Amino acid sequence: MGYSGARGGLEAILAAEDLVRRKRDHAPAPWSSTEQITTRFRLAVDRVMGEAGLYDEPTAADAFRQAEGDTLEASHLLRAQRSTLPRLAVSEPVDPGEMTVIRRIVPAFREPDGPQLLGRTSDYTGRLLERPDGPPEPAQEDARTGNAERTEEQRSPRRFMDLLRKMELLAEGRTADDPEPHDITRKPARPPADRSAVLAAMARAESGALVALWYRSILGPDGDVHEITLGELRHGRLPLRVRHPHTGNPVTVGEFRVTEAEAIEDLDGADEDRTRFDIGYGLCFGHNERKAIAMANLDIANRRFGRSGPLEQLLLLTIDGLDSGGFLEHLKLPHYVTFRSMVERKQAMRAAAEAGEDPPARAAGPAGKDCR
Amino acid sequence: MSREHRCALLAEAERAELIELADACIADGAQVRVLVGPEVGCVTAQVREPVLEQRFLLGDVLACRAEVELAGHRGWAMRLGDDRAAALAAAVLDAEARSGRPRTAEIDLLCERVAERRERRESQEWAELAPTVVAFEELT
Repeated sequence: MGYSGARGGLEAILAAEDLVRRKRDHAPAPWSSTEQITTRFRLAVDRVMGEAGLYDEPTAADAFRQAEGDTLEASHLLRAQRSTLPRLAVSEPVDPGEMTVIRRIVPAFREPDGPQLLGRTSDYTGRLLERPDGPPEPAQEDARTGNAERTEEQRSPRRFMDLLRKMELLAEGRTADDPEPHDITRKPARPPADRSAVLAAMARAESGALVALWYRSILGPDGDVHEITLGELRHGRLPLRVRHPHTGNPVTVGEFRVTEAEAIEDLDGADEDRTRFDIGYGLCFGHNERKAIAMANLDIANRRFGRSGPLEQLLLLTIDGLDSGGFLEHLKLPHYVTFRSMVERKQAMRAAAEAGEDPPARAAGPAGKDCR
Repeated sequence: MSREHRCALLAEAERAELIELADACIADGAQVRVLVGPEVGCVTAQVREPVLEQRFLLGDVLACRAEVELAGHRGWAMRLGDDRAAALAAAVLDAEARSGRPRTAEIDLLCERVAERRERRESQEWAELAPTVVAFEELT
C-alpha cells in the first residue's frame, strides 16, 4: 500500500460544531445565566477555577456553560483564556493564617483554639436524592438572618498545628533560606523539582487524578500514605495584595476563596524522629475539600518518599487534567497513516513467517513506547 | 485615610457608584490622560505555606488595572475581575483624592460606605454561620 493524500472533512467539522452550538444554546429550556451557574453550581465552578489555575467565578461559569458541564473541558477553555492574558503582578506572599474562615473543622482534636465551624456542608447528613417538581417556595426570614459580632478568634482561629508546635510534637523542617518559587506555567517542572513546583502542580491538578493518586498511595503498590490524620480543614477568603506602583506599599486588591488542609503524619521511619509528627499541606482555589485533603496527604508523602519511589514523577507528570485529557482526546483524531503502517508490518511479518524466514532481529520495544 | 486603604476600598466598590463619581470628577473639564490600560490580566497568587514557610505559586487571579493622570496628579487602581470601566473610574477617583480636588470628600464618603457595607455583609454572614459551630456536651 502506498501513501495517498486526502482532503475533505471541513464541512463535516463545521456542521458538527454547529450541532453543538444549536443544541446547547437553543435547547428547549431557559438559558442558564452566568450568575445562575456561579450560585447554583458553585462547586463545579470552583473545581474549574482550580484545575485551570485561574480564579474568576464569572469566567469559569461561562466556560462551564460552553463546555456543557464538562469540567475538564471547561478548565481547558479557561486555561486557554488565561494564556491570552498578561501577568500584571505577582502578589505579595499570602499568609493563609489571615483567612476569614467560613468553614473550619479540626478532626484530630475536639476543642482546638477557635470554633469547630461546620459551615455550609452536608457531610453529616444522609445523601438522599430530592426530586422536586419545581423551584422551592421563597425562603422564610429566620432568626439567623441578622447582624452578629464576630471575634478575631472566630474569624481567623489559631492553627491546630501551632498547638502541636507549642507542645514540641512537630518535626522542625523550617530553614532560614527563602527560595524563589518555581513557576510551572512558564517552565515545566521535571524531577527532581523544588517542593514549590510540586505544590503548584497539585494545586491545579485534576481533582479526580489527585484523589486517585492519593488512594493508590494508600491501597496501591507504593504505600506512601499511611497513618495520616486530618489535622485541620478550612474554607475561607484570603486577601490578595500587590505592591502599589507609586508608594511601594502593599495594597489589597480583593479577596479569593480557597480550601486549605493540613495532614498530620506519624513519623515512623528508622531515620526519622519518632517522637514527633510531621505535617503535609494542601491549598487550592475555591471550595474543593477532596482535592485539598489529597494534596496535603501527598505533600507529606512526597517529602518522605517522593525521591525513593515514583511519587514525585507521578505528581509532576501525570495529574494535570489538560495533559492527560489532551493526550487521551488526541486518540480520537485520525491515525490512519500510523495504523496503516502497523498493518503493513504485521502483513510483512506474516509473509516472512510463511516463507520460513527468521523473525526480524530487532527486539520489540516495551509496551506503550510507541503510543506517542 | 492612607492611599493604600483608599485603593483597597475602591477595589471593592460597586461599578455604578465608581463610574457616577468619576464622571462627576471630570465634569469640570479637568484634563485626563490615560497612562496605563485599563488592562485585564492576571495577578499570580503567591502563598507562603505555614508548615515549612516556603513560598509557592497557587495560581492566577483575574484582575484589571488602570493608571491615569488627572489635573497633573497620577491615579492608579487595580480590581479583581475584568471590568475595565470600573478600574478606570477607580483610578480617576484615586487621582482626584490625591490632588485634593473638589470631590475628595465624596470619595471619602464612598469609601466609608464600602467599608460599612463590608462590615454589614460580614456580620450577616456570621449570623448564618454561627449556628453551625459545634457545641460539645460533657457526659458524666
